[in-house]
Amino acid sequence: MPDEGLLSELTILDLSEGTAGPFATKLFADYGARVIKVERPGRGDPARRVGPFPDTPHPEAGALFLYLNTSKEGVTLDYSTATGRRILLELIEHADALIESATPGELDAIGLGVEALHQRNPRLIVTSVSAFGQSGPYAKWRASDIVAFAAGGQMSITGDPDREPLMTAGHQAFYQAGLHAFGATLAGLFSVGVIEIGQHIDINAMECQAATIELYLGDYLYRKSDILSHRRGNSASAMIGIYPCADGHIGVHVMPRNFPAFARLMDAESMIDDERFRDARARLMNNDEVLATIYAWAAGTTRDEAYRRSGELRCSAAPIYSIGEVLQQPHLRARESIRELDDPRAGRLSYPGPPFRTAEGGWSLRPAPSLGEHNEAVYGELLGLSRCDLVRLRSAGVI
Amino acid sequence: MERLPLHGIRVLDLSKVWAGPYGTRLLADMGAEVIKVEAARAWDMIRSLSLLPGETERPYNRAAFFNHYNRNKYGCAIDFSKPQGRDLALRLVAISDVVVENYRSDVLAGLGLTYEAMREVNPDIILVSMPSHGLSGPEAHYVAYGTNIEQLAGLPSVSGYPDGPPHKSATSYGDPMAGATAAAATIAALLYRRNTGLGQHVEVAQWEAFLPLVGEFLVEHSMTGQEPPRRGDRHSSMAPHGVYLCQGDDSWVAIAVGADDEFAALCHVLGRPELAQDDRFEDVVSRHRHQDELNEIVSTWTQEHSHRDAAKQLQAAGVAASPVLRLPELPEDPHLTERGFFEEVTHREAGTWLIDRPAWRFDLTPAHTRLPAPCFAEHNDFVLRGLLGLSDEEMVELEREGVVSSEPVPGQDE
Repeated sequence: MPDEGLLSELTILDLSEGTAGPFATKLFADYGARVIKVERPGRGDPARRVGPFPDTPHPEAGALFLYLNTSKEGVTLDYSTATGRRILLELIEHADALIESATPGELDAIGLGVEALHQRNPRLIVTSVSAFGQSGPYAKWRASDIVAFAAGGQMSITGDPDREPLMTAGHQAFYQAGLHAFGATLAGLFSVGVIEIGQHIDINAMECQAATIELYLGDYLYRKSDILSHRRGNSASAMIGIYPCADGHIGVHVMPRNFPAFARLMDAESMIDDERFRDARARLMNNDEVLATIYAWAAGTTRDEAYRRSGELRCSAAPIYSIGEVLQQPHLRARESIRELDDPRAGRLSYPGPPFRTAEGGWSLRPAPSLGEHNEAVYGELLGLSRCDLVRLRSAGVI
Repeated sequence: MERLPLHGIRVLDLSKVWAGPYGTRLLADMGAEVIKVEAARAWDMIRSLSLLPGETERPYNRAAFFNHYNRNKYGCAIDFSKPQGRDLALRLVAISDVVVENYRSDVLAGLGLTYEAMREVNPDIILVSMPSHGLSGPEAHYVAYGTNIEQLAGLPSVSGYPDGPPHKSATSYGDPMAGATAAAATIAALLYRRNTGLGQHVEVAQWEAFLPLVGEFLVEHSMTGQEPPRRGDRHSSMAPHGVYLCQGDDSWVAIAVGADDEFAALCHVLGRPELAQDDRFEDVVSRHRHQDELNEIVSTWTQEHSHRDAAKQLQAAGVAASPVLRLPELPEDPHLTERGFFEEVTHREAGTWLIDRPAWRFDLTPAHTRLPAPCFAEHNDFVLRGLLGLSDEEMVELEREGVVSSEPVPGQDE
């Protein structure tokens, strides 16, 4: 089965912990790359201890960890010891890329800096994933989700104008870094085939966020206008917002070309030929009147009705789905966009399906590994270590 | 300097607005030769947003959004809806490695530019399609833009102030995330083609591409059967955790404290070391229970400091903290400045300004803005004469027929 994956030619050594790095390596693993997740013996990735947990308490099976580490092989290794370091360097000879998320300088200090890695495998792509990057005054700052989100500029424009800045749920700063680390590492791997030499890639949440909000940041950089630098609550303009409806909330994202369809959706066709709403600028000048129409319409419709009619009219309104509703969406079910997987510790769980679909080279899910689950397979197969060797390493605390 | 990673890869970019162009810009930053195609009556409408103020002859060449999302690309104007235009499109497909499009699911077929038609002229072409709902399924014909994508995926339902309604993220978040996914998918398909010789049609349904960003909530819901609560800036276990008002205009510092030693460090910085011994705050459970009191104590201190100074002091003591940077503070931020994150770009009609460098930072092949965003039809000659070898007569004829244009028709696609 692994041979059928889009990326099954690749082996990735994954030293990363938490969210950003493991998200990147999950994307590799689900597309068939052999991802060897290296965790510290006894301790493991701290994400294992982030709840919620299944009914039967299981210290290794937090939902976040089970999500972020599918399809990976798990080994334990204390590479701060001399033996552990030697084993890691041997593993590197079998790897195409190494992904790590240590504090900058930490791997250098134990003899596993980029130069040492390249000495052992000159074609290795080393991707460092962090909150702030490998250099600069904040490089060694401690990070958390909210701290990374604050540093990237996104938080200052999220939330209501008269309230505190708001963090978007989940680990969005780190997911942005992880997704970009996936793409950048692929680009690095592609270049190895051309320039025949590996390199070091620095991906950090702060710069990735500045890039993904660039529409807003770019407006300031270019026009020196801070009009897009303020929090605008749930309605950036009437045409882009979230509004209460009869049974929940509806989202509207109407581009100029969709306005006639939107007026029809609201049964307000007279707006189409009304001078006050004739183009985007006019609608912005009369934003309050547009808003009043939208509020009145939304209050009298349900999410399903608005969405179905929006689809018919080729307009762009959508329901605000709850998480439970996302899992049940007929369109997603028909496309198998949500996949079920039996986890040995937590039972049947639902996961997102492939983020992109390929006609050639597949995608599949396997449960996240237990701590050290693949020690025998990886150390035996790649390094030729015997069971007796592994017992010795275990008793020495190396694995 | 070594060659950029995607040197020698040609991308025909039919995408518009944000999601597709963000993806193809990542490819362009990495050295791919990206050829963006617009048409006189189907130009990228983002050319009409965020314009430089004042009257100008060609405002569409001076739009902030367009000029950021299309750097490092070439631009030409060909009308694919005309038969000669479709012919030119296929001739470009024949000499490209990748085609990227983010039309509604049925548009490309309507133009007769299906994957099958492309394959006939280029058997190992990689076509990357980015329809919002995908190419199949009961809602395949629906339309959704960036904020709709996160709504369909449930992100606003778990975002928001604990006492408030579902809340949108600040930007059209679905767009850049779909773009970054499409860029990664393209490079993965290029690697696969290098190994197997096979091109293919890759489908990036933007709704599906967003699901990984809420994946933790999907897994959580399937484990517990419960909707995750809206926590705002609070955390399920850490406290204090949130943003705290500082001196200055809309200035805040974000602080996250988990372990006991981090809390002791915080108390030290606040000048209140005795709090670390206080029963109310002795461990993570009691701190979480008494977080309202804690937040007031922290806020009293932060209001006497600037957000940068507060973060600096807290970080020096080992507490995770950062100023909540406002957008105008990013280009002057000392960290980003020292890292050289912003560089000047000069555009032939839009002037000179600062632009962020590619966030994919490679040590041997550093990327930067090699080429400002194209003016409308700027590279017609490079593409049509240079790459396709059209003669002067053919160019004149195509321009006369309105297949190739040098000026957009206003109001057509706004």
